[in-house]
Amino acid sequence: MSTSERAFRDPAPAPATIGRPPDYLHESHTLRSWFLTTDHKRIALLYLAAITAFFVVGAIAAGLIRLSLVVPNGEIFTNDTYNKIFTVHGVVMVWFFLIPSIPATFGNFLIPLMIGARDLAFPRLNLLSWYIFVGGALFTLADLIIGGVDTGWTFYAPFSTTFSNTYVIPALIGVIIVGFSSILTGLNFVVTIHAMRAPGMTWFRMPIFVWTHYATSLIFLLATPVITIALILLLMERAFGIGVFDPALGGDPVLFEHLFWFYSHPAVYIMVLPGMGVISEIVPAFAQKRIFGYRFIAYATIGLASITFVVWGHHMFVNGIGTGAAVVFSVLSFAVAVPSAVKVYNWTATIYKGRIRLQTPMLYAMGYIGLFVLGGLTGLFLATLAIDEHVHGTYFVVAHFHYIMVGGTMLAFLGGLHFWWPKFTGRLYPEAWGRISAFLIFIGFNVTFFPQFLLGYLGMPRRYHDYPPEFQLLNILSSAGATILAAGYLFPMVYLIWSLWFGERASANPWGARGLEWTTPSPPPAHNFARQPIVDFEPYAYPDPPADDDGAAHVG
Amino acid sequence: MSAPDTEPSLGGLLRHMRVAVAAFAALLVGLGAIVVLGVVAPSSASSVIMLVLLAAMVATVLLFSMEVPQEPPLTRFFSGLGFAWVAILVGMTLLDYFTR
Amino acid sequence: MTTARRMSASVAAPEGVGIEVAEQFADATQQRHAAQLGMWAWLLTELLLFAGLFLCAAVLHVTHPAAVARAARHLKVWIGAANTAVLICSSLTMTGAITASRHGWRRWMLRCLLATAALGTLFLLLKGFEYYQDYLEHMTPFLDRPYALAGEPATRLYIDLYFLTTALHALHLTTGVAILLGMTWIARKPRFLHRHQNWIEVYGLYWHFIDLIWIMVFTLIYVVPR
Repeated sequence: MSTSERAFRDPAPAPATIGRPPDYLHESHTLRSWFLTTDHKRIALLYLAAITAFFVVGAIAAGLIRLSLVVPNGEIFTNDTYNKIFTVHGVVMVWFFLIPSIPATFGNFLIPLMIGARDLAFPRLNLLSWYIFVGGALFTLADLIIGGVDTGWTFYAPFSTTFSNTYVIPALIGVIIVGFSSILTGLNFVVTIHAMRAPGMTWFRMPIFVWTHYATSLIFLLATPVITIALILLLMERAFGIGVFDPALGGDPVLFEHLFWFYSHPAVYIMVLPGMGVISEIVPAFAQKRIFGYRFIAYATIGLASITFVVWGHHMFVNGIGTGAAVVFSVLSFAVAVPSAVKVYNWTATIYKGRIRLQTPMLYAMGYIGLFVLGGLTGLFLATLAIDEHVHGTYFVVAHFHYIMVGGTMLAFLGGLHFWWPKFTGRLYPEAWGRISAFLIFIGFNVTFFPQFLLGYLGMPRRYHDYPPEFQLLNILSSAGATILAAGYLFPMVYLIWSLWFGERASANPWGARGLEWTTPSPPPAHNFARQPIVDFEPYAYPDPPADDDGAAHVG
Repeated sequence: MSAPDTEPSLGGLLRHMRVAVAAFAALLVGLGAIVVLGVVAPSSASSVIMLVLLAAMVATVLLFSMEVPQEPPLTRFFSGLGFAWVAILVGMTLLDYFTR
Repeated sequence: MTTARRMSASVAAPEGVGIEVAEQFADATQQRHAAQLGMWAWLLTELLLFAGLFLCAAVLHVTHPAAVARAARHLKVWIGAANTAVLICSSLTMTGAITASRHGWRRWMLRCLLATAALGTLFLLLKGFEYYQDYLEHMTPFLDRPYALAGEPATRLYIDLYFLTTALHALHLTTGVAILLGMTWIARKPRFLHRHQNWIEVYGLYWHFIDLIWIMVFTLIYVVPR
């Protein structure tokens, strides 16, 4: 029996505090030891703190948007203020929360633990990317709040280059800087996953979480430089008049949209794939069953990451792109549904006949699966040329991507946070409060965003706060849902912080889950493993459930 | 400044760099050909030939200066991946411009 | 032949050539592999970065063929060609530095590194001279002075793109020369090759790639659209 095998079968209780070797949290306590750390686990917590702060800012902006939309004639804020508020919401949530959210926190913390490495390949680069992220993001945030920008998160030319009278230049600089943080994180993960795996950790023994982060990192590397150059072109055009998009000279602003969406569509998968990785860990752990179709999920991950690069034109169907190109982009966009569905079916099949425990992470995971299906199916509407002509630029689109981004990524983030909280902190969160908040978020989310599908289908355009009075009822419903959602977000912030001091102490493996990260103590020691792990077991090696007649539970 | 005994003469160093010197010569020839085709004696077929020459020069740098064939398979994959993605970016965007 | 040239593959490295293993790695082979792969991943991003500019050039070429050809004929193609030759030479000297480092020939390595830095600086000087010529010929439409091709506004887009592309490349080369000089300063210490031989290898990849990008810039921006 190997060391790791023994650790699974006999999860030794953590020794008493006295005489226990110091873990990564208690090794040293100075500020310097946190802000100059090269330990991937501490850097992950630095990221967690930073993105939580940005999430709060973005959520407050969202609250102001919903407040403004309670009345139809837009009398709560001026038009300019409203434009600035939705730009804060979009820029902060997309660039500073969703994109780094799961990779930079959970990915940073867990990838080395899951593949049996002592750290990432380039620890100092990892710290540098945190500083780049925080520096660039704070710079942009200061600009957005003190000065204000009204372009939305997409910075479309020629509005951003020529016509906007707001402080676009600092916002562009900040977003370009943050892009380098993504690139460096992606680079670190790719090299780590290739070069640092423990002996015996073959590609098909890696958890799906690691596969999805590998795919995400490739997108970071292949797509981020294109947005960097696109934003540099905008910046130079606005600041110095050196540019290629100016229609007055014969330039084509649609070219900017091509460059922008070549990054920003794959960026959707930067946000979604890591969430899929989280769900692929939670579902088998709480069904106590091998994941169904492991290899298909792994291949679907790489498939999604590849297909996502050839569908960007579906954001541009109504801006005058060539008809032939639009048809090609539309057909390819349908193809995205295939690997997405493979994953959903596999999660569902994993739950089927499992020994299901409905604890908080599993509640989030099940919410995720349902909302992701709804978000994904409405995506097919938008990929269809004729329907997109009708609903493009309406609240239908807003509802669709919030089902993917909030219903998908945000739920996966919270599910993962609860799942790995004992590993991060060595403490358990209060289970009852966790379940209450999971239900609140699920209900609040649907009340907020389902009415927006209806509003969009009826023709309410996005980015306007002055709307016909007949839309008021649905808008009030949506705003009411947002308050429930806000309460759902507040609960975890309070009880998770509370649990840091008063939570029950966690054992190494409180969920009975499989994977190398559960073989090391909670919280792990500074170098992750007392001894170099040797991997001689398959991923998700949960014991087979009792055999039954059709034997379905054995597949996988 | 005289090199210690262990260090070779310039000829000795170059003898260890035969491939690099050949690649250097090939790149200069390619540059010359591009300049002739594009600047000195342009013709209607020049553009296509120049793009082929450019591809050959890029391949020369990758294969001989950067020693891609001696890298592990993964690095070889990476070096090809970038160019494949450039093809997607340029190809699909130009598809738009050609079908307008 | 290939195995002999591939000293970095950790077999048969001469006495006194090697690397110091950082704590997160199990051994030197793993560390070399990681460093090499990391640089390739970075180069991947550099390629995509410049690809965005090449795409702009292609689109301008498709949408305004006559204006682009006219603008391209105003570029200083001979200075560009000379600069291409300079960078091809610098690639050879960089390979010289790598070869010398693999054999532990420190003096040759330092000479080659300095030669590479000198050629890089020569490139930048020629580039600056080219910009000055553009200025004198009124080919700087974004400056507050008359523009030679003002009658054809679309030429301005291409000239702007030329300045952006070459300036971004020059920025890379400036950074490259600075890092090269810093590394040469560190590498002058006798025990450098015992500890950090792979710095030279990894940096060499970057230098060759900047050279590669310039060959593409020269062909695609200066010559093909003429």
